[in-house]
Amino acid sequence: MSNKIIHAIYDDEITLLTAVKKIRSQNINIKEVYSPFPVHGLDKALGLKETRMAITAFIYGCIGISFGGLLIYYMMISGDYKSWPMDIGNKPNWTFYHNLPAFVPIMFECTVLFAAHLMSITYLFRNKLYPGSNDSSPDIRTTDDKFLMEIEVSNSTVNIKDMLRDTGATEINEKE
Amino acid sequence: MQRESEIRDPLIIGNKSYHDITVEIAKPVEGKANKYWWILFFLSLILFLWGVLCIAYTIGTGIGAWGLNKTVNWAWDITNFVWWIGIGHAGTLISAVLLLFRQKWRMAINRSAEAMTIFGVAQAALFPLIHMGRPWLAYFVFPIPNQFGSLWVNFNSPLMWDVFAISTYFTVSVVFWYIGLIPDFAMIRDRVNGVINPLKKKLYTILAFGWSGRAKHWQRFEEVSLVLAGLATPLVFSVHSIVSMDFATSVIPGWHTTIFPPYFVLGALFSGFAMVETLLIIMRKVVNMEAYITVKHIEYMNIIILFTGSMVGVAYITELFMAWYSGVEYEQYAFLNRATGPYWWAYASMMTCNVVIPQLYWIKKIRTNLVTTFILSIFVNIGMWFERFVIIVTSLHRDYLPSAWTMFSPSFVDIGIFLGTIGFFFVLFLLYSRTFPVIAQAELKSILKSSGSEYKKGHNDE
Amino acid sequence: MSEIKKYWKSLSQLNEDPIVKRLSENEFVEELPVDKFLGDKKNLSESQTSRRDFLKFLGFSTAAATLAACENPIKKSIPYVIKPEEITPGIANYYASTIYDGYDYASVLVKTREGRPIKIENNGTHSNARVQASVLSLYDSGRLQYPLKSGKEIDWKTLDNEVKNKLQEIRNGKIILLTSSILSPSTKQLLQNFINKYNRVEHAMFDSVPYDGILNANQESFGIRAIPSYKFHKTNIIVSFGADFLGNWGANNYASDYVGGRNPKSGKMSRHYQLETNLSLTGANADKRIQIKPSEQAYLLSNLYAALNGSSADKRLKSIVKDLKKNTGKSIVLSDSNDKNTQLIVNAINQKLSNYSKTLDISIPCYLKQGDTERVHSLIREMELGEVSALITYNVNPAYTLADNKRFIKALKQVNLTVSTSSYNDETAELMDYVAPDHHNLESWGDAKPYYNYVSLMQPTISPLFNTRQFQDSIISWAEMNEVDYYSYLKKFWSNKGIKWNQALHDGDFNLSESKYFPKRFVFQGKLTDNKTQDKNIEIALYESIALGDGAQANNPWLQEFPDPITRACWDNYITISPSTARDFGLKNWNISNGALNGSLVNIKSGNISLNNLPVMIQPGQANKTIGMAVGYGRKKCGKAGEGIGFNANNFSNSNFITIEKIEGEYEFACTQLHHTMMGRDIVKETTLADYIKDPSSGNERLEFSTYKGKLPSNKVTLYDEHDLKTGHFWNLSIDLSSCIGCGECVVSCQAENNIPVVGKEEVRKSRDMHWLRIDRYFSSEMTKELAVEEKISAIDMFSEMEEPSENPEVVFQPVMCQHCNSAPCENVCPVAATTHSSEGLNQMTYNRCVGTRYCANNCPYKVRRFNWFQYAENEKFDYHMNDDYGKMVLNPDVVVRSRGVIEKCSMCIQRIQDIKLEAKKNGDKIKDKDAQTACSAVCGTNALVFGDRNDQNSEVAKLREDERAYDLLDHLNVRPSVFYQTKVRNKG
Repeated sequence: MSNKIIHAIYDDEITLLTAVKKIRSQNINIKEVYSPFPVHGLDKALGLKETRMAITAFIYGCIGISFGGLLIYYMMISGDYKSWPMDIGNKPNWTFYHNLPAFVPIMFECTVLFAAHLMSITYLFRNKLYPGSNDSSPDIRTTDDKFLMEIEVSNSTVNIKDMLRDTGATEINEKE
Repeated sequence: MQRESEIRDPLIIGNKSYHDITVEIAKPVEGKANKYWWILFFLSLILFLWGVLCIAYTIGTGIGAWGLNKTVNWAWDITNFVWWIGIGHAGTLISAVLLLFRQKWRMAINRSAEAMTIFGVAQAALFPLIHMGRPWLAYFVFPIPNQFGSLWVNFNSPLMWDVFAISTYFTVSVVFWYIGLIPDFAMIRDRVNGVINPLKKKLYTILAFGWSGRAKHWQRFEEVSLVLAGLATPLVFSVHSIVSMDFATSVIPGWHTTIFPPYFVLGALFSGFAMVETLLIIMRKVVNMEAYITVKHIEYMNIIILFTGSMVGVAYITELFMAWYSGVEYEQYAFLNRATGPYWWAYASMMTCNVVIPQLYWIKKIRTNLVTTFILSIFVNIGMWFERFVIIVTSLHRDYLPSAWTMFSPSFVDIGIFLGTIGFFFVLFLLYSRTFPVIAQAELKSILKSSGSEYKKGHNDE
Repeated sequence: MSEIKKYWKSLSQLNEDPIVKRLSENEFVEELPVDKFLGDKKNLSESQTSRRDFLKFLGFSTAAATLAACENPIKKSIPYVIKPEEITPGIANYYASTIYDGYDYASVLVKTREGRPIKIENNGTHSNARVQASVLSLYDSGRLQYPLKSGKEIDWKTLDNEVKNKLQEIRNGKIILLTSSILSPSTKQLLQNFINKYNRVEHAMFDSVPYDGILNANQESFGIRAIPSYKFHKTNIIVSFGADFLGNWGANNYASDYVGGRNPKSGKMSRHYQLETNLSLTGANADKRIQIKPSEQAYLLSNLYAALNGSSADKRLKSIVKDLKKNTGKSIVLSDSNDKNTQLIVNAINQKLSNYSKTLDISIPCYLKQGDTERVHSLIREMELGEVSALITYNVNPAYTLADNKRFIKALKQVNLTVSTSSYNDETAELMDYVAPDHHNLESWGDAKPYYNYVSLMQPTISPLFNTRQFQDSIISWAEMNEVDYYSYLKKFWSNKGIKWNQALHDGDFNLSESKYFPKRFVFQGKLTDNKTQDKNIEIALYESIALGDGAQANNPWLQEFPDPITRACWDNYITISPSTARDFGLKNWNISNGALNGSLVNIKSGNISLNNLPVMIQPGQANKTIGMAVGYGRKKCGKAGEGIGFNANNFSNSNFITIEKIEGEYEFACTQLHHTMMGRDIVKETTLADYIKDPSSGNERLEFSTYKGKLPSNKVTLYDEHDLKTGHFWNLSIDLSSCIGCGECVVSCQAENNIPVVGKEEVRKSRDMHWLRIDRYFSSEMTKELAVEEKISAIDMFSEMEEPSENPEVVFQPVMCQHCNSAPCENVCPVAATTHSSEGLNQMTYNRCVGTRYCANNCPYKVRRFNWFQYAENEKFDYHMNDDYGKMVLNPDVVVRSRGVIEKCSMCIQRIQDIKLEAKKNGDKIKDKDAQTACSAVCGTNALVFGDRNDQNSEVAKLREDERAYDLLDHLNVRPSVFYQTKVRNKG
C-alpha cells in the first residue's frame, strides 16, 4: 500500500497556524512545515519538544571555564614552573589563588569561546546543516513568501484535501 | 501574532508583501552595481593597496619606518587598533543587546552592523600583528607546546588577555553572523536560476548549508540566536574592558586609571554607532534600501549616540577631577599637559567632536536629518580616533623623568597604513553589500505585519 | 681606589696557591685541543715564545686580526696576570699599557679576547670617554693601511731609502721634527740620535691646545717649564678661573682627587668656586659659579691678588676672598688663561696663600704639556723664508689645529722634504710628500713619563692590523742606528736604569727614584691690570668638548654619538650663547613636531677670520655677551664617520672679540635630552653640607603610605608574599650623585662592553639613541612650587615657567640605566615572558624570545629600554663599526649583537657577573666584594658607581644601601629598584 505525500501551501502565517491547529485536532499527522521565517507559536501548535540548545551551551561554558583554568594553572603555576619557577614582576606565581585576579579575563574568554562555538556546531550538526548539503524544501517558494505543510497519508487523500482547502490552503499538490 | 501600538512609527515603509521584501533584498545580489558602488569601490581599493605597500615596507625595513621613538613606543598603531575594535562593538551591541531587549528596529540594520563588526575587528587585529618588532614570530603569543619545555606565555600580561579576547570576539561574531545568514542565503539560493548561472547556484547552495526552513530548525534557530546574543553581550563588554586594561594596568600617569573599562566600552559603542550610521546612510542609497533603513532607525541610533557621547563626556571630566583630587603631581601634570601641553589641539578636537558636537542631537531637526547625521557621525569618528591618540601619545611623551620627554610625529608609513585599513574596510563592506543579503530578511518578514506601515493602518481600521 | 682596581683586575690566580692552580686546570672536563698544540707544559712555561706559538695555532681558527696577532710583536709581551699556558679561548687576558695620542694620557688595562683588544679598563687612575673609546679607533678602517708617497702606496723599503737619501742631500736647510709633547724618555733619547745623525736638525713640540701661558709663567717663576701637581683632596677652597680641570684642562686624573676632597660623610667638603665663560663640566660641579667674560679674568685675578694684600675686592669676589683668607695653605687657585702674565698672577696668589708644596707642588711637576706655540710660529716664518728643507711631523696635525693653518699650508710648499707619521691621511698628511703611518697605541711599544718620577709602559696587545710602522722604528731606520727595533731599544733603555722589565711591564707602571726638583724662590714680577672690559663686545671662548677633545679621534663613532654632558647634543659642535644674548640677536632654539631641536644660524667674524652658517645652541649658564665653541670638529680628512661633522673653531684660538650676524635658515641638532629641568619633581634629591651635618637624611625624607598597619615606607607596602632575594647574591648598584661629575666615561665603557650600536645623527634626532646608560643633566629653574604658591601663580603658568632653566642654573648629573626593579612593571606586561626576574635581583631580557611589542618600554617609568628600530649591525644604512669588517672586531664575544625588532637594555653586565661567579666556583671560594664589577662601575674614577652583592653584609654596597642618603628613584611607585642613588650634597656658602 503506497504512502502519499500532500503539500498544502499557504501564503499567510495566521491561516497556517489555524490550519495546523485544525488538522492536528483531526489527529492527522503533519510531517513537516516549511516557512520563510520563524512563525511564533508554530512549534507549540505542531507539538514540538522544547529544544535543549541552551542547556548544551551551559555545559560547554562549564567545560570552557575549567579548560581556561587548567591551561593557566599548568602553564603559569604548576607544570614546568614547579621545576623552573619564574619571577615575573614579583607576582606570586606559586599559587593559583594568589595570582587569580590576573587570570580572570582569560578564563572568562575561554568560557564564551567554548560555549558559543560548540553550541553552534551542535546546532548545525543537529539540523544536518553543512556546506554542500543539497537538502532544501520541497517547494522553493517557501524561502520567499509561501508556507508549506507536508502531510503523509496512507489511505484516500480526498477528504484531507478538502479539509486543507477549507483551512485556506491556496494550493494543494499530491505526490506518490 | 503580537500587535504593535500604532503610536510607534512603522519600521517598514510602503505597502510591502513578503515577496516584495524578498525581491528588494535580493536585488543588490542579483542586479548590476550602480556607479556609486564602483566609484566607492575603486577609491577604497586604491587606499587598500597603498596600505599593503606601507605594511610591506614596515616589515621589510623595521618599525623604524614609523615615527615612534624611545619614549613613545606606541602611537598610531595602537590608536588605530583601539579605534577599529571600538567601531566593531556597535555591531555586536545592535545584534545582541537589542535582541535581548527585543528591539525590533534592530532587524533592518543588524546584518550590516555585524558585517561592520567583523570587518572592523579584522582591521584591528592587523595592528597588534604588524606593530611587533618581529611579526614573523607572532605565534609566540599563543600558548603552543614547544620544544623549549617550560617556555609558555605570560598570562599576567594584558596583551595576553587581548590575544584571547580579540580572537574570541572575532570568531564568535563570525559565527553569530553566519548562523543568521544561513536562511537568507537559502532564500537567494532558491531564487537563483540554476540553468542560467549554475555557478552562482552552486555557490549559494554551499553557503546556505542546505537550509530548508523546517519548523524544528526555526525553533532551534531562535534559541541559538538568543543564547549567542546572551553570550555576545558580556563578551562585547569584556573585550573593550580588556583593551582598556592594556592602559589601566600600567604605571604611566594618564593610563593608570580605574574608570577606563566602562569609559572605553561606552566610547566604543559611541564610535561604533557613528560608524554604522556613516555606512548605512551610504548603503541605503547605494543599494536602495530606503524602505527598510528608515529615518526612524537613524534617529534611534542618534539617540544612543547622544547618550553614550554624554557619558563619554562625563568620563573625561571624571578623569580631570580625579587627577586633581588624587593630589599625585605626576597624574596632575599628565592631564594638565593633555589640555595645555604641546598636544592641546588633539585634546581640543577630541572634546569638541565627542562631547560638544553630539549634543546637537538634542534638536530633533538635526537628529532626523540624514545630511546632518552623516556629517556629525563623521565628526564622532574623528573625535574618537583623537581620544585614543590623546590617551596613548600625550600620556607617554611626558611621563616620569623629564630627561626622557620627547614628541611624536607620524611618518608617511604610519598614515599610509591607517588609510590602508580604511580602504580595506570599505572594500570588504562594499563586496559584502553586493553578495550578501544586507538585511536579515527572514527576521524582517516576521515583523512585517506588526511594524509595516500599511499593516499598522490596517490595525487602526479594526 | 687604585688598590681596589689592582685587586679587581687580577683574577684570583694572583695568589698562586696549589689548589687554585689545580682547580683552574680542571676547568674543562676534557682538555681543549689548544693544550695539545701547547704540548709539553713544562717546556712552554720556560720558553720565551710560548704565547707566540699558542696564538699562532689559535690564530688560524680566528679572524684576520687574530691571524695578525699570532705573528711577532706580541711574543715578548707579558700577559697581565694569567700565565701564558693558562690562556684558554673564552677567557680574557688583561695587559697593562698606556694610551697617549699627544692630547690624552692614561695608564690603562687592555682586555683582550683571543688576541683581540676589546675593552679599555683603567689602571688605577681616572681616564675619560676618549680613552675608553680609543680601542675602537684601533679598528678604524679609515686609518692608513700602508705608507704613501704623494698619495700613492709604496713599500717601506723604498720610502726609507728615498727619505734617507733626501735627508742626506740636505746641506744648509734645517730639518725640523715637529711633534706633540713627547712624554717618552726613551723616544727623546732616540730622537737625539736622529738629531746627531743629520746636520741642523731641530725638534719642536706643540700641543694641539696650547698651554704656553702657564708653562712660561712657571718657567719664569720657578725655572721649570711644567704644570704643577694639584692635590685637590687637600683643599678646602678651590677657585678656578675657567680651568675645566674635571673635563679637559691639564691632566685628566684630577677628578678622583677632587671628589676625594668632597666627602660629606667625613664632614670635609672643599668649596669649589668656578669663574668661567662657558658652562663647563667643572663649572657644572661647582658649588658657586660666577659667569665672567674671558677678558675679565686678568682683571679679576689682579683684583683678587690685591684684595688678598688688603685692598678692597670686586663684589663678585668678596666671599671668595673671605674663604681664601680663612684657608691659607688649604686652597687652590688656578686659571685656564694662556697668557703668561695672568698665570704669573695666579702663581703669586697661590704663593700669597702659601699653597705651594701643600695643595699644589711645582717640585712634583707634570710633563703632559710641553709644547711651545711661539716656536711653531717662528717655524712657519722660517718655512716661508725657505730656511726649512725637511719637515717630519709626529702626533700633530698643524694644518688643522693651528690658528693660522692657512699660512702653514702655504709655507709647507717651500719645504723640499715633508714626511708625516700620522696614522691617518689627515689634513696635514695629505699635503706631505711621504706618509710613514704610525701604529695605534695598542699596537705599539712605548713608555711615558707624565709626572715626576712616574713612568708607565705601553705594550702592544695585537700585532699591527695594517702595514704600518711605529714612529720610533721609522726614526731608528732613518737615523740608521744599529738597533733591531724600538722594543729592544726600549727594554735596554729601562733595564740599564735598573728596572725589572717583566715586572714593570706586568704592572704597567713603576716609579723612578729621581732627585726632587727644587724650584728657585718665587718673586712676583707680573703686572696687575685693572681695566675692566667694555661690555658691548661679544667675546668668544673656545673649549674642547668632552666627546672629541682636540679632535684626534674624530673618526670614532662612539665619540661622535657621545652626548655632550652639558648640552646633551651629539654629532655636532655649535655656538653656545646665553639666553638673553640670544634674545638680543633674535636667535632661537625650537623643537619640531617630533621633538627634535632646531636652531638659528649665524656668521661670526673676527678680523679677517670668519665662519659662516654656524648653528646656535642656547646655553643657560653661558656668560652674557659671550659665545663658546668647541674645537675638534670640522675635520676635513679623518675618515667616513667624522668627516664634515661640525666646524673648525681652531682659527679663532687667538682672537677674543668677534661679531655675530644672524642669517636665514635653520640647523638640525641631535640631542639625546630635550627637556632640561626637573619640573619641580623629586628626581635628584639635594641638600647642603650644613643641613647634611645637622641631619644626614636631610633632603631625603622618605615617602610614607597610610595602610591598615599605619604609615609605612613604600618598600614595606605589598599585596603579595615576597619572592626570596635573601639567599644567594643580590646585585645592587649605588650611584652617589655628589661624587658623579658627569664625565660620561661610563657611557662609552658601557657601549664598548655591551656591543651597543651607533645609530647616527638622523636617528638620534628621532630620539632613538641606543645608549643603555645615559647621564641625565638637569638645570635648576627660577620657578619653584613654593614660589608659585607664594605669588599665587596658576599651575599652567608655573609649569610653563618651570620648563625654562634659569640664566645661571645649578646643574645636576644623574646616571640612569635599567633600575632592575624587583617589582618590575616591564616584566608583568610582556605577553611572551621575554623579560623576567633573576633570583639575584636582576631584570633580564631574553632577546630570542622578544617579539617586540614594546609594551615593556612604554611601561618603564625610567624609560631605559631601547628598541632595535632597524637592523643596526651589518646594515649599510648604519655604516659605523658594526658594518665594517675591522670595526666588528671590537665586539665583545660575551654579549650578543641584538637583532632588529627586539628590546634591549642594561643587563648589569651579567656576562661579567657570570664570569666572576664561575671563577669563584672554580677556585672554590666566595666572591669578594669589588670582584664583580659592571662596565660602568669599573671605570668610574670618582667611585660614584658602587656595585656589589647586597646580601654580603660587609660589602660596600650593602652599607651604602643603609646610608641615610640612599634613595630609590621614583620611590612612590614602589617598584623596588636594585639601583639606588645617594643624595647630592652641595657645599653652598
